[in-house]
Amino acid sequence: MRGMGLGISALLLAAVVAVALWPAGEEPAREPPRLDVEFDVPALAPQSGALLDEIVFLRETDLGRVTGLIEAGSHQLFSQGISSPTVVNRLRDSVQADMDLAFGTASELTLNPAGPILADGSLNPFALPAIREALNWLIDRRHVAEELYGGLAVPRTLPLSTAFPDYARLAEVARALELRYAHDPERARTAIDAGMGELGAERREGHWFFEGKPVRLRLLIRTEDERRRVGDYLANLLQDLGFAVERRYRTAEEASRLWIATDPAAGQWHLYTGAWISIVIQRDQADNFSFYYTPRGRAEPLWQAYRPTPEFDALAERLSRRDYRSWEERQAMMAEALALAMEDSSRVWLVDQLNASARAANVEVAADLAGGVSGSALWPYTLRYTDRLGGRMVVGLPGLLGEPWNPVAGSNWAFDRMITRATQDPMVLPDPYTGLYHPQRIARAEVTVEQGVPVEQTLDWLTVTREESIAVPADAWIDWDALHGRFITADQAHPEGLTARTRVRVHYDADLFERRWHDGSPLSPADFVLPWILDFERANESSPLFDPAHLATFEAFRRHFRGWRILSTEPLVIEIYSDQIFPDAESIVAARAPSPLPWHTLMLGILGERRGELAFSSNKADRHGVDWLSLVAGPSLPALARLLEQAGEADALPYDQALAEWLTPGEREVRFAALGAWHEAFGHFWVGSGPYRLHAVHPVAGSVVLRRFEGFRDPADRWLGLSTAPIPELVLDGPLVVAAGEAAAPTALAAEFRLAVTMEGAPYPEEDLREVSYLLFDGDGALAGRGEAEPLGEGEWRVHLDAETLAGLGSGANSLELAVTSRRVALPAFASLVFATVPSNEEVPR
Amino acid sequence: MKPEASTDPRGPSPRRPRLRDLRHLLLFAIQRLVALLATVLVGVYLTIVVANMGGQVDELRLVQIRSEVVETVRADPAFFDMPGEERNALVERQVGLEVERLRLDQPFAVRSLDYLQRAMSLDLGRAEQMHSDRGSREVRDIITERLPATLLLFGSANLLVFFTAVFAALRLSRHYGSALDRTVIALAPSSAAPGWFYGIFLILLLAFLFPLLPAGGMVTAPPPEGRLAYAASLVRHMLLPVAAMFFSSIFVSIYAWRTFFLIHSSEDYVEMARAKGLSARRIERRYILRPALAPIITSFLLMLIGLWSGAIILEQVFNWPGLGSLLFQAIGHRDTPVIIGGVVIFAYLLAATVFALDILYALLDPRVRIKGGRR
Repeated sequence: MRGMGLGISALLLAAVVAVALWPAGEEPAREPPRLDVEFDVPALAPQSGALLDEIVFLRETDLGRVTGLIEAGSHQLFSQGISSPTVVNRLRDSVQADMDLAFGTASELTLNPAGPILADGSLNPFALPAIREALNWLIDRRHVAEELYGGLAVPRTLPLSTAFPDYARLAEVARALELRYAHDPERARTAIDAGMGELGAERREGHWFFEGKPVRLRLLIRTEDERRRVGDYLANLLQDLGFAVERRYRTAEEASRLWIATDPAAGQWHLYTGAWISIVIQRDQADNFSFYYTPRGRAEPLWQAYRPTPEFDALAERLSRRDYRSWEERQAMMAEALALAMEDSSRVWLVDQLNASARAANVEVAADLAGGVSGSALWPYTLRYTDRLGGRMVVGLPGLLGEPWNPVAGSNWAFDRMITRATQDPMVLPDPYTGLYHPQRIARAEVTVEQGVPVEQTLDWLTVTREESIAVPADAWIDWDALHGRFITADQAHPEGLTARTRVRVHYDADLFERRWHDGSPLSPADFVLPWILDFERANESSPLFDPAHLATFEAFRRHFRGWRILSTEPLVIEIYSDQIFPDAESIVAARAPSPLPWHTLMLGILGERRGELAFSSNKADRHGVDWLSLVAGPSLPALARLLEQAGEADALPYDQALAEWLTPGEREVRFAALGAWHEAFGHFWVGSGPYRLHAVHPVAGSVVLRRFEGFRDPADRWLGLSTAPIPELVLDGPLVVAAGEAAAPTALAAEFRLAVTMEGAPYPEEDLREVSYLLFDGDGALAGRGEAEPLGEGEWRVHLDAETLAGLGSGANSLELAVTSRRVALPAFASLVFATVPSNEEVPR
Repeated sequence: MKPEASTDPRGPSPRRPRLRDLRHLLLFAIQRLVALLATVLVGVYLTIVVANMGGQVDELRLVQIRSEVVETVRADPAFFDMPGEERNALVERQVGLEVERLRLDQPFAVRSLDYLQRAMSLDLGRAEQMHSDRGSREVRDIITERLPATLLLFGSANLLVFFTAVFAALRLSRHYGSALDRTVIALAPSSAAPGWFYGIFLILLLAFLFPLLPAGGMVTAPPPEGRLAYAASLVRHMLLPVAAMFFSSIFVSIYAWRTFFLIHSSEDYVEMARAKGLSARRIERRYILRPALAPIITSFLLMLIGLWSGAIILEQVFNWPGLGSLLFQAIGHRDTPVIIGGVVIFAYLLAATVFALDILYALLDPRVRIKGGRR
């Protein structure tokens, strides 16, 4: 009996081991990255379509395992940003792993500006702008970036991200301000002492007192990340200055109840270690001043306590309205606003944090400067192995299928968006390093703006012209009659005539309608028209598709929308009229150019929502107690399958009359048949036209599989030029000691400094550089000169300081600051050199 | 006159005690049922109050909703040139919609009673923030979707631990003081470390240093299409977490059962059986296992009920899509319906088990019945 029991146990164990070691059908290759082979990129030129055969997305939440999984060869890419210095150091140390760095999170100190006497009778020193401003000198940002953030941050002084274009455009001004507010604890102490005296406080035995009580500061310290260390560092500094500091360690939620939800005058906090995230490159940060420093920013009590000077307030308000007539005027306003923001200092900016996206060493991808890999629009076109073409890649994500997927109001999760981006083919694509849009399905565009509207054009795929007045043509569609299912034209809605501030004429690619959706059906003009109808239907209260959650976006759109019309379908040319202006012409086209959505899948959603079975948006689904439409999984799928069957058999479909003109004969039957076959084959309804198609979804197991779409015929190397960030690398060289003569001394006393601008060891092309400028500061930190460097060719630049300039410096240690801005990347590069000037009669040591 | 019954020569009818017992049992069952329902009611309401921090979560949610709306509006180029005042008005409208959707405009006390009423009637309703992996907002779908994975993993591990521990303990109780017995006792403190702790080491060893088994997940991605291959993949992915759970609890379980059996095996009636010369196997079955059956069944059933809650950290470590991580997410999202859904089902299952055990004891153990009768 006992023997039988042991026998059965042994058999069971053997069975488990056998099953466990049974070879799986399609086990992903667990190959550690190969470093000895480099694939020849030019060889990709004759290839077309996606660079990989299959991409498997897997849920992986534990960042501590990232390096190990890459080294084991089970994963090749991780989309989440890693901000832990420990994990990043592990990545750096690994031969088989590599990473891309992205900006986007800014760390700052939010100060309570209420008071100076708070509700409990205590003193709030930060009510005084001079004391707030002094914190800029008190904090050593370099220490914060290099020590507290372990090198995963760069110092930031201004309310402009150091990685975004505005900072580069204003690099010279920014550098001067950064030097003005550089770490200077003595100056901080002096300013704070003066300010506290002004407020009526007194220092006794090294401690500040107000009306006999110690001046107590409540510091809200966030505990989830490096801000805990920042908070402690700041608390120590303030204690050294004589303040009693109460450290309140709080999570995001706990802290938000205090710093956002309470009245700052109640005095529950004085400082808060805040942070702001941006996952896209913001090309225009002009409204930052209004948002961060004035009551217009937000309605909460903290913002309502802001009291900017009238001058700053007016300037911030004008900048937020883009109230300027020229680019030069804007830049001057921005420069002035930056200086005023530093004097106000309701926020003290500390660092721009860096996030790493981990990848195998033999993997290359274009990571966005702000959003990393998950925020990159170009990742589907650039993700590849450097040692081979094609293959399967496993990508780790912290979460997927966070919400139902539908193209109208589906999942907004960054990681879901990352996956769906690969299945779609947008009309324009943002540059991951500048945020400027490049054409993808657009041959060219013509932008016309009203005279006096400041619009800048950078790229040559579009033209910008100006007209006194732009009239909206009578036949442009401006509205939708939901009751009768027809378009309303401009002359019907505005018989008196209508004008617009911009007109955008978009010429799509000639072969656009030869391209196919993933289910094999060709694109058609109806794919552009139905999304537009749906947009209006969802905002119309009399429509069964009405969705209150859509109203806000729609009303914002209606504020500036002035009509559109299809001028031609062979090729497709669309003209759009609007009052909305962006500083970049490329952004105007990107915002205006209509994009197609497969009308046949949209139609199923429309039918589902009209019948009260499904809803496009979460809000409407909850209100009606129905399922939020998902085209990929869940209870929506059987409903959609039923609707597809009924749609295929129906005599009439919604909006037949309006769509009839834009459908080719037999298109309806072809579309529904193709979608039916697609659903049969893959079990879902997610159809796009991008380089990858959705092959399989495994919601509970937590994986999504994309496969190469054979119908995508773009050259494989089309976007590979943007695979790496073209950040200029600088080496500044020059004399350490210079003889400074008198102002009228001979030119022989001039000094010359050399700057090498390179990228990956090669000279940085001169035509790609926007500006190479210098600032010269004397021994007192005062600006003594500025100018442009001269190009010498081969990436070499020269700064020539003439005798007159050197003489003006006097004797002492001076600083030469070089700022280099590129057209290919928003991130400016800086170099500095300290040199001494000695009287001309002294010998200059060699 | 004497009562007629007392003159019955056959003595009292045997049906009388049975009826009396049945009546006592019924009374006992009703009392237990009412007590258990009251316990469930209180437990669920406490969960509702705690999950909402007595209503203070509303305040947190409002701040969170407002911040999310503001950031969404700021990031959307559609609102790029909208004046600040208009933008704030728009934010207020959007916040209002969300407040209405989540019924935050109602006092928490009213909502809490509504939650309670629905929970007690097992109307799990819709989640407020979360979705099932497949995209459904019904709490029922959200929970049932994760249930198989939890039952499979924790069921396998716990059953393995339970039966291994019971049979090993029986054997050790027979060989009290042997080298193996002493080894198990020495290893019992190893169970102080939780399963996920062993999991990390096992992953390091068998997934990274010697990559024999997968580091996490439920099946290979993409899942194999053939059933056998799928099962093989599933088993392969289960090996490490099951081993982690097994190692973390096996020694202490054996130790506990062994002590239990040793106590039973030193009872007088066991000594008597030994003195009578009965075989060791017979003593083990009839004199040790049988009286110990009730605690074993109780322990077994409670172990089965315990599967419902999964294990949060272990699931995170092994990337296992179970109920533990679901509950963890729900707490993170403060999704009250999902939290309540998980708790109320657990509470009902526990109550039903306790009730069944009570009845079982009442039927099997005369002391319970008598005690019930005296009440």
